[in-house]
Amino acid sequence: MAKDIELSESESKFILEALRQNYRLDGRSFDQFRDVKIKFGKEYGDVSVEMGNTKVHCRISCQIAQPYEDRPFEGLFVISTEISPIAGSQFENRNITGEDEVLCSRIIEKSVRRSGALDVEGLCIVAGSKCWAVRADVHFLDCDGGFIDASCIAVMTGLMHFKKPDITVHGEQIIVHPVNEREPVPLGILHIPICVTFSFFNPQDTEENIKGATNSEISIIDATLKEELLRDGVLTVTLNKNREVVQVSKAGGLPMDALMLMKCCHKAYAIIEKITDQILQLLKDDSKERNKYAAMLTSENARES
Amino acid sequence: MHFQAEVGVLGHVDGSSQFVSQDTKIVCSVTGPIEPKARQELPTQLALEVIIRPAKGVATTREKLLEDKLRAVLTPIINRYCYPRQLCQITCQILESGEDESEFSQRELSCCINAAFLALVDAGIAMNSMCASIPIAIMKDSNEIIDNPSAEQLKTSPSVHTLALEFVDGGKVVKNVLLLDSNGDFNEDQLFNILELGEQKCQGLVKNLRKIIQDQISPRLVV
Amino acid sequence: MAENTALDTIEVHPITFPPDVLARISPELSLQRHLSLGIRPCLRKYEEFREVTIENNTLSRYVDTENVNAKNNILGSNVLKSGKTIVITSITGGIIEENSASIKDLDDFGEEELYEITKEENVVANYASIYPVVEVERGRVGACTDEEMTISQKLYDSVLHSRILPKQALKVKAGVRSVNEDGTLSVLYPDELENDPSNETNLKMKRKWSYVLYAKIIVLSRTGPVFDLCWNSLMYALQNVKLPRAFIDERASDLRMTIRTRGRSATIRETYEILCDQTKSLPLMINSQNIAFASNYGVIDLDPESQLQDPDNAEEEVDIDMDEARSVLIADLDTEAEETSIHSTISVIANAKGNYTQLTLVGAGAKITPNMIKRSLLLSKVRANDLSTRLNT
Repeated sequence: MAKDIELSESESKFILEALRQNYRLDGRSFDQFRDVKIKFGKEYGDVSVEMGNTKVHCRISCQIAQPYEDRPFEGLFVISTEISPIAGSQFENRNITGEDEVLCSRIIEKSVRRSGALDVEGLCIVAGSKCWAVRADVHFLDCDGGFIDASCIAVMTGLMHFKKPDITVHGEQIIVHPVNEREPVPLGILHIPICVTFSFFNPQDTEENIKGATNSEISIIDATLKEELLRDGVLTVTLNKNREVVQVSKAGGLPMDALMLMKCCHKAYAIIEKITDQILQLLKDDSKERNKYAAMLTSENARES
Repeated sequence: MHFQAEVGVLGHVDGSSQFVSQDTKIVCSVTGPIEPKARQELPTQLALEVIIRPAKGVATTREKLLEDKLRAVLTPIINRYCYPRQLCQITCQILESGEDESEFSQRELSCCINAAFLALVDAGIAMNSMCASIPIAIMKDSNEIIDNPSAEQLKTSPSVHTLALEFVDGGKVVKNVLLLDSNGDFNEDQLFNILELGEQKCQGLVKNLRKIIQDQISPRLVV
Repeated sequence: MAENTALDTIEVHPITFPPDVLARISPELSLQRHLSLGIRPCLRKYEEFREVTIENNTLSRYVDTENVNAKNNILGSNVLKSGKTIVITSITGGIIEENSASIKDLDDFGEEELYEITKEENVVANYASIYPVVEVERGRVGACTDEEMTISQKLYDSVLHSRILPKQALKVKAGVRSVNEDGTLSVLYPDELENDPSNETNLKMKRKWSYVLYAKIIVLSRTGPVFDLCWNSLMYALQNVKLPRAFIDERASDLRMTIRTRGRSATIRETYEILCDQTKSLPLMINSQNIAFASNYGVIDLDPESQLQDPDNAEEEVDIDMDEARSVLIADLDTEAEETSIHSTISVIANAKGNYTQLTLVGAGAKITPNMIKRSLLLSKVRANDLSTRLNT
């Protein structure tokens, strides 16, 4: 099996030295998020997100299921983030126990599912017996860092883009209308959480960082794969446009100045505001494109002919 | 078979391709030759790890069967004895299935075969021959054989087929039938008609696949 | 071998092995040597099938129609023996509630006729399949192997596409159990009442159920590819499946209860269980004309270098060369030698009408010529005819 990728000594020294001199390998400034490219597929809820060389694809699907017994008014929502060797041979198929894989799926789970971004009560069809089960499958296609940020954008865009088939409830029976028969209905989205990941580097040795008063750690936004391999600490904050912090995750690593957290959140807010606006604009454009023949397809027209 | 394909779409694998035909969209990656796990290792030849991942949900036995068929097609066309005790990982991610997954897999299988072939070439793995695959449906009443049927055509047809042929000599000569997987209700005449029409269509397809590879590598060649 | 080593000379002697040792060391060579004699390592001829014996419906709860064993949950079964391999198929079932209704099912929907027109009769969507689990016993336990998974899935796909099981046949015609005036319980079934209009009660169910069928297929002492054995055994077993009648309790059919969670309340219909009748059953109405049987073939190139130089056979060899029959068709693959050395295989499921429902052709070895395909189709037709006559025995 392919081993984890390792950077050569000289390459890592070069990257770190460049960071000390305020340069990044791809020419970005420290606080610059990569440009996010979002594309929609043919079907609803089919989204691919590209950030530099990182490619993530998200597919939303739904089916009718039975709700949990203790939550009869809620639908089901599952996010699956399995990494396959397609993203790089360091990932093993069906191995979800890897450190990165677990961390990634947990942060997305917290950011999107547990923050209530999707209105699960709106998925209820018949209380206690039938509900929609919505599923988000995240496929990591190319790995150049920033998986968490990219997949969060992909899942949220997918959920907003997705439409579930319309249904009619006749007492005990449910009729699911195919998409080509009745206009499908969008999901209820309560807010749009977006993740921003900060990576920290220690310009001096470890001892200096813990004891010293300088707190001179370098912090960069949206690290590439090489930067991720070299970083000493990582912080992922999730915010939404209402200036709310949804989730903060800093699992060990380099200790950082407490006030730095506030600074990071401020920086992140500017980024998520831009991304949120971009997503909303793209969704608007897409729905316009999809409905450009709507005028011709209305029932009034059908009656005329 | 009308399609769009691209090679070298991914950065962190040795070879990759994207294959799109109608509503079916596949991304395939190839990594190899690399060091295998002890249980995968074959003493005299290259071991193949074939993975197919569905667009929606987790991989089930349905994908296992597709992997089995894909492996059957790829094994003879790869020059396995060039790489003893090594491993080649072939991963296909289905982005759009383009058919009803609960009933059919013909479109996905054909596109996976073509995508994997392009990715193998892109990865520079030694090959014995070329392959090309098409899905086929026989229409009800008219008895017409349709190559690359749409999801709707699959649903109404009495029998559905996947054909993969092996080509040598610049894609001009058919060496063997790599796979013919037929399901439904069909007779002997229909079967031979499928092989006949399939040969023509695959020949056209393999020409286009060669063109894709040629376009990819010709700028890199130093004349 | 012992003789050779005993001769302590510098002369070079060809090494010879007893046949069983050679078969171990070089299965391919052993196979080629056998084939050059016109037989296979299992001593069968090229196109000879193994003898198949079957035993139908010996494990099912309905073996004794008078005295149904309610504790047994097997609805249909078959034991198939082919050569050394034994395949045991037992079919069990379950009942699921249909999640969504199509408009067709609703009586008060005016568009019914429209749907009748647009609905194609023979499309795959109108057919169900069976959920098979194949277990090839290897003398140890563990996660299921790739072979077991692919065979199971292939069985599932083939049953679906063969259009054997119409979805209509799996619909539950549920009855209602009610308490009579004298306190005894009786179960009324809607279709049994049809002849007697005076007794017509409102038995129309608001909910719909379907049977689902599971097949557990156990393969003992596997000696070669087993897909066709599993398929044939499944076909025999499916034909003797009987579905138990099911009913719901009259009192339970309209039970509602109120629940409250987190400040919200709603009435929820009590999830009552549908019960199976202990004794009454209906035969499963399968599309019997689509019942088909499987057989498999291999194509192998004869290696001229492995031919035995036996003077007695010299004439025969010349014949083979004259006909340019460089590759041969082998029917009903068995033994490890054949399985590992023959890479070009043909697997056919043919019905007695002479149509085919499944064909898998894998050409990873010798070239599969149209003549080979024709021959294998012909053989599979004959084989299917033979196997279908076993039903009545």
